[in-house]
Amino acid sequence: MNNILDDYALMSPLRHRNNWLKLVIVFFGLIIGVSCASPITPVFIALCMSFTTIVFGRVSPKFYFKLLLAPMGFAAAGVLIIAFFSGSGQDLLSFKLIGYPLSIKVDGLELALLVLSRSISGICCLYFLALTTPMIELFAVFKASRLPESLIELTMLIYRYIFVFLEIALSIMYAQTIRLGYSNFRRSINSISMLTSTLFIRSLEQGEKLFLAMNSRCYNGKMAVFEVHKPIKAVEFLLTSAYFLSTLSLFYFAKNISIV
Amino acid sequence: MIILETRSLKYTYPDGTIACQDLNIEIKKGKKVAFVGPNGSGKSTLFLLMNGTLKPDEGEVRFHGFQLKYDSKSLREIRKSIGIVFQNSDDQIFAPTVYQDIAFGPANLGYSKERVDVCVQHSLEQVGLSHLKAKPPHHLSGGQKKRVALAGIMAMEPEIIILDEPLSNLDPIGADEIMDLLNEFNQFGTTIIISTHDVDLAYRWSDYVYIMSNSKLIGQGTPAQIFKEPDLLKKAGLRQPTTLEIYHEIERRGLAYGKNSPKTIPEIVSTLKPLDLMWVDVPPKVKEGDSLNLGVMYGEYATQSPYEAINATVLHIHPDGRAIVELKRKGIKAGGVLLYDTDNYSLKEIRQILNEGEMVFVGAMGKKSKTLAEKNGIHLDVTSGVIDKSILMALCGKRCLILAAGGMVDHALKRIREYVEKSGIELTMSIVNREESCKWPEEADGEPEILEL
Repeated sequence: MNNILDDYALMSPLRHRNNWLKLVIVFFGLIIGVSCASPITPVFIALCMSFTTIVFGRVSPKFYFKLLLAPMGFAAAGVLIIAFFSGSGQDLLSFKLIGYPLSIKVDGLELALLVLSRSISGICCLYFLALTTPMIELFAVFKASRLPESLIELTMLIYRYIFVFLEIALSIMYAQTIRLGYSNFRRSINSISMLTSTLFIRSLEQGEKLFLAMNSRCYNGKMAVFEVHKPIKAVEFLLTSAYFLSTLSLFYFAKNISIV
Repeated sequence: MIILETRSLKYTYPDGTIACQDLNIEIKKGKKVAFVGPNGSGKSTLFLLMNGTLKPDEGEVRFHGFQLKYDSKSLREIRKSIGIVFQNSDDQIFAPTVYQDIAFGPANLGYSKERVDVCVQHSLEQVGLSHLKAKPPHHLSGGQKKRVALAGIMAMEPEIIILDEPLSNLDPIGADEIMDLLNEFNQFGTTIIISTHDVDLAYRWSDYVYIMSNSKLIGQGTPAQIFKEPDLLKKAGLRQPTTLEIYHEIERRGLAYGKNSPKTIPEIVSTLKPLDLMWVDVPPKVKEGDSLNLGVMYGEYATQSPYEAINATVLHIHPDGRAIVELKRKGIKAGGVLLYDTDNYSLKEIRQILNEGEMVFVGAMGKKSKTLAEKNGIHLDVTSGVIDKSILMALCGKRCLILAAGGMVDHALKRIREYVEKSGIELTMSIVNREESCKWPEEADGEPEILEL
């Protein structure tokens, strides 16, 4: 089960840094990235975030870029459409495809680049969060941000049971595979339906057991959330401030620069 | 003192299956009790009845002599005092991290944040998992999960801990660690109840055994009594414990003293009656059937301990003056077992003991001591079944050191003492870093005699 992002976050050295600091960095990047007018600032944000994730977060660059590829595919498709079908003004490039005229205009290209850079910066920010902050660190954040207790409790239980059910599902799937349950399409459909129905029944059973387990430890309707105190270090503070200042100045000075 | 009892308990599942009937059980405080029976004999249901999760159809459960009430306040009290560890740890661990799961119980008892923290840290240390406290449960191994489940119960400091099949799916070392922990809690006065179908475990570990079959209690008694009855075991679908079976076979061939119930390998060894014959030169007047005092022997003539007082019965006298005698040996100087309490240890001291005390055999009990030894590069000869193996080594005249912490030290000392009392073989034992210092036996008084053979 090495392909779960949460596992990378759990092993990340940045896991033990202040959660709030990480959240502020991410939200700052998202907001600036979305609200700036030039593609330069989002690219800068994306570079900074990727650098932090790879160097400080010790994520292997190969894995990181592979991870980036998936959303980039979607972004590229969108950007192409914007480039060809929007904007007005001078034609930069035009050709005919099966008798249908296609052209890229200056405005359209500029918009496309902006959208592309914004989405990259957004993705990099979110990956920074996803790869350095495991879910279990966020529960304390939820609690501090005054989300309803029952919601937090539910999230905690769901988080735990995702893995329990994943394990059950994987072992059922394995049991089906070794008895040729997935040898052709028809059988696969049949096996998958059996797996899902079994999972439903199991989840009911598990719910009953959970109730039992919680009750036998005097559950009184409240699950305590404990936050480990992780103070912000001076170096972290300085680095973050430098990053914020340079991004803000870039945001200000680059607002009228266009690259096309 | 009886802490928990049930009177003519009956429980039927909603689908009409009878899970328990006519159960009369009395559990004494501070005991180690095992419920043995095949799968589906009603053990798990009985446990759920004991902590008030299920309400009996007939009969009653009494805790400290008071009948169990089923309102939420009384149930809270009961569940604080009676902790259950489920067979499948995944059913029990539901919080996203180890720390939070263990903190769940104490937090529900309304403790302050600081007190919860103290409880959790203490339990984590006892089960040796302090380094894993920030991990999510799905990153733990089966044995670690079991220990987390146990720590979650311990953190509530219950009077009784009930464990449903505590050793299922554990490797031998992991199983041993769980049993060591249970022995330690028991040493501190916690009553421990387990269910198992492992007859060896029940026989070796428990003070009292209940045998269940088909939702009924079909036998009870001390393990020595219970496992002697083949009919009862057959009825319950169980077999004799391996140790007992081996002993009976040896006894039947006249190689061991009869009417014992050895539970451990050292105990089997001490029942052995080897036919020990030897040719010796005897004085002319000795007749067949006479007893000879051969004095104290050592070296290659002493087979069971370094020094042995040997008496011989003359069986046959050869015309040339030599005779065949049957030897009766009594060990007078066996080796010894030193216990070292790692709760307050100094590495220098351990090293000194190892070097100067001529320790040839070092064992560690409990995760904490093992980690400590590993960290400091102390070579461990044994990490499971430590007490038994140390006794065996001591019987062969070796000096052993056992590293243990807290209650495990007392447990080990108790076990060795029991062995010495039962077998009559004098082992030296002491705890190094508690009150009195260790003493090794003085060298033998006078020169041991050497026989002419």
